[in-house]
Amino acid sequence: MTRILPKNKLDDCIAAWQKAGFSVLAPVQRHGMSSFGEVQKASEMALDLILTERTIKDHFFPQTEPLIKYKISKHDIDSETMTPPERKRIFFGVRPCDASGLEIDDPLFGWDYKDDYWFRRRENSVIVSIACSEADDFCMCTSVKLSPDSTRGADVMLRPLSGGNGWQVEAISERGTALCDTVSSLLQEETAQAAPLPRVDGKFDVEKVMEWLADKENFESRFWKDISMRCIGCGSCTFLCPTCHCFDIQDEGDTYQGIRRKNWDSCSFALFTMHTSGHNPRNAQSTRWRQRIMHKFNYYQGKFGVNSCSGCGRCTRQCPVDMGITETLQAITNLPR
Amino acid sequence: MGIQEQYRSEAAELLSSGEVKLVIGFGAGSTADRRRPLFARTPEESEKLVLDQNCIANLTTYLVAGGLLTDGKKVAVFLKPDGIRSLNILIAESQVKAEQVVIFGFAIENNEVTPLEGRSISDFAKLGEKLRTATPPPSVQEEAERLEAMGSSGRFEYWKEQFSKCIKCYACRQACPMCYCRRCIVDVNQPQWVSTSSHTLGNFEWNLVRAFHLAGRCAACGACDRACPVNIPLRLINYRMGKEVKEAFDYFAGESSDQNPVLASFRQDDPETFIL
Amino acid sequence: MIYTPFPMRVVSKREEAPGVRTLKLEFVRQEDHEFFKANYRTGMFGLYGLFGEGESTFCVASPETRKDAIECTFRQSGRVTSMLSGVDAGDLVTFRGPYGNCFPIEQFYGKNLLFIAGGIALPPTRSVIWSCLDRREKFGRVTIVYGARTVADLVYKHELDDWKKRDDVNLVLTVDPGGETPDWTDHVGFVPTVLEQAAPSPDNTIAVLCGPPIMIKFTLISLQKLGFDQENVYTTLENRMKCGVGKCGRCNVGSVYICKEGPVFTAAEVSRMPEGDL
Repeated sequence: MTRILPKNKLDDCIAAWQKAGFSVLAPVQRHGMSSFGEVQKASEMALDLILTERTIKDHFFPQTEPLIKYKISKHDIDSETMTPPERKRIFFGVRPCDASGLEIDDPLFGWDYKDDYWFRRRENSVIVSIACSEADDFCMCTSVKLSPDSTRGADVMLRPLSGGNGWQVEAISERGTALCDTVSSLLQEETAQAAPLPRVDGKFDVEKVMEWLADKENFESRFWKDISMRCIGCGSCTFLCPTCHCFDIQDEGDTYQGIRRKNWDSCSFALFTMHTSGHNPRNAQSTRWRQRIMHKFNYYQGKFGVNSCSGCGRCTRQCPVDMGITETLQAITNLPR
Repeated sequence: MGIQEQYRSEAAELLSSGEVKLVIGFGAGSTADRRRPLFARTPEESEKLVLDQNCIANLTTYLVAGGLLTDGKKVAVFLKPDGIRSLNILIAESQVKAEQVVIFGFAIENNEVTPLEGRSISDFAKLGEKLRTATPPPSVQEEAERLEAMGSSGRFEYWKEQFSKCIKCYACRQACPMCYCRRCIVDVNQPQWVSTSSHTLGNFEWNLVRAFHLAGRCAACGACDRACPVNIPLRLINYRMGKEVKEAFDYFAGESSDQNPVLASFRQDDPETFIL
Repeated sequence: MIYTPFPMRVVSKREEAPGVRTLKLEFVRQEDHEFFKANYRTGMFGLYGLFGEGESTFCVASPETRKDAIECTFRQSGRVTSMLSGVDAGDLVTFRGPYGNCFPIEQFYGKNLLFIAGGIALPPTRSVIWSCLDRREKFGRVTIVYGARTVADLVYKHELDDWKKRDDVNLVLTVDPGGETPDWTDHVGFVPTVLEQAAPSPDNTIAVLCGPPIMIKFTLISLQKLGFDQENVYTTLENRMKCGVGKCGRCNVGSVYICKEGPVFTAAEVSRMPEGDL
């Protein structure tokens, strides 16, 4: 016997959660783009998508975030620190790769100085993951040691039933248990088989990759130039990545008032590291691509003991020139040793 | 011999004779129907060139990136008609020297690839006329007409929704062969002309600035539209700007390589008194 | 909150050299000042800013032995430094910090000190110099080699005069060839050359080296020639920063985050960093 959430009880769940003070966000298809958005009814959810085009990172580390409001007068400056809204949220139907992404970023936003903007949202959110029933050519979770039903970063894990009419429910964290309790009357005890997981073939050998990256000899390898020659230097792979976290801080307003903002930034952009003097430590696109790969599979590992990639494959799926992490890591895997 | 094999062997010859230093074409991609830009520097590498109905990218973008042509050497590039149109614009704007580019022209019609005759931009004079009078693809025209029918407030709402998706990744700019500025206006911070933030105002500013900078310069290749990771139908904006320019100045960008760029050239007898 | 700066009042502004100014800033709020006093050590940096323009990263030029105010010296170059150049006494600016690591000055006790600075990089060196001179008895010989492009480009001119007069400091001043004035009586030549001529002994000596990358590169070679061990040579690295606290992802050289593991490094540590990322 397992606990089951029947699909036809989803509307009641949403109502119960809303009554308990939660906003419910789920995959939605709006204005020709899929992302996580607030929903009132199950019918608004696009749960059949393999993956939303945008990640749930957007709701924890938004593309633009007001930090400080300021007003400048002749002799004084008034400033007020802005804080993200204290809103209880449920993310329903998160894919395991996206949920993992949040957990991968937690230590970064937490080391020494705690980024309250991230953690306030994290602490007020419950992640309800749904295991994948389909994968596409770009999915690569298994290559980074995750899986289509990885519970990493999830508070509740739902596994689709083979009949398609509901999900097996497993509470992963305390927060998840508490959430299940709010809808316990809607859950049923049944014997029901979970649908088989999709096959996600291994695309590269991450151990081999990490070993190659760790070898200092390879930092100046010709490999980086060759593999990134067609990169056009846009930020789409970084902005659609569930773990990329780089940002800029910018003041915006007029002479008298404005807002200091934290905006997404990308290591793909030439200006990212440009000094005022004009010197740029990473002045070629190949050095920027190397930084991205090194950061994800070497530096981050060294600092936080985990690679900064959850295998969602968006970097390749959406790349205008068909590049991405997979190709590079595949090529590294296949390099003659 | 099919066109792919023919172009491969020609590319190999150009590379082995030293006529060109590089061939920019297409290679196999990460899935069966994806093609990716391929840079062949040796005759052996040209064996990997692929040419089929999936080769849709506009490769002229690479001609103006990273100082590729600054050494005066020649480069060969695979171009569809819209790529040839872009090349015309780049030559007209003095960004590329015509004699530095060898063209492997091809067209895709009904999923069939056919070669275009000629290897030098001057061989494609007739193509410009043909493009000028061609009807735009039905997908663009129908959607454009739907937007026209919305009226200005309807259109405003439409674009507000579309631009709300923008994340300022600048994939549109980076994919566009016409966005060759060394320092884009959004990257200038003294003064900060365009806000860098990706919020309603910032997204509007960026997309409108780009639309205006492309007025009379867009080859309608759709690279921006395809590159956009959040599916903003950017080609509709550029289509509309192109239409305005055509109606106002009887000008079709990229018709030939010796055009005077319409918004960057002036005449003594211009009827508008404010210009001179 | 993490990115919220301290308001600071400008006490004074001093013109140092063409385009280079020093601001003396005092804390507006007592608790901010207490925080600074409890945490600041020489070598740390801060983000100095103006609302409406943004923030810019530079070192704290005042020593850890004088924490009543913060001094910062900067060259007018980008948007923020241009606007900071325009402030006057009484104006409000902002400060975020102190961030980063520091010079392990206690470890220098009982040793001779060799300070080498080029141009606008005297301020970070000066912070260490005063931190040591204010505890002069704890150290052996003190040598300062300072060079700038021209006489006009020398910063902290009044302090150079003070150091020159002291008999417990050996000050070696130089300007690049062509940068001298008719009355210039000190050295003419580049820092590495002048350093080699001065030939300070490496025995029981710590070298602190700050300057533009090209000067650092050649001076390290000179130090090696003089017999200095890389472990006894300290320097500071600068990179573009936005957050200052290890989050924004841009200041790393290889795996090293300048904002957290730096800005102070030994030459040995720098030599282990990938050169292609510097």
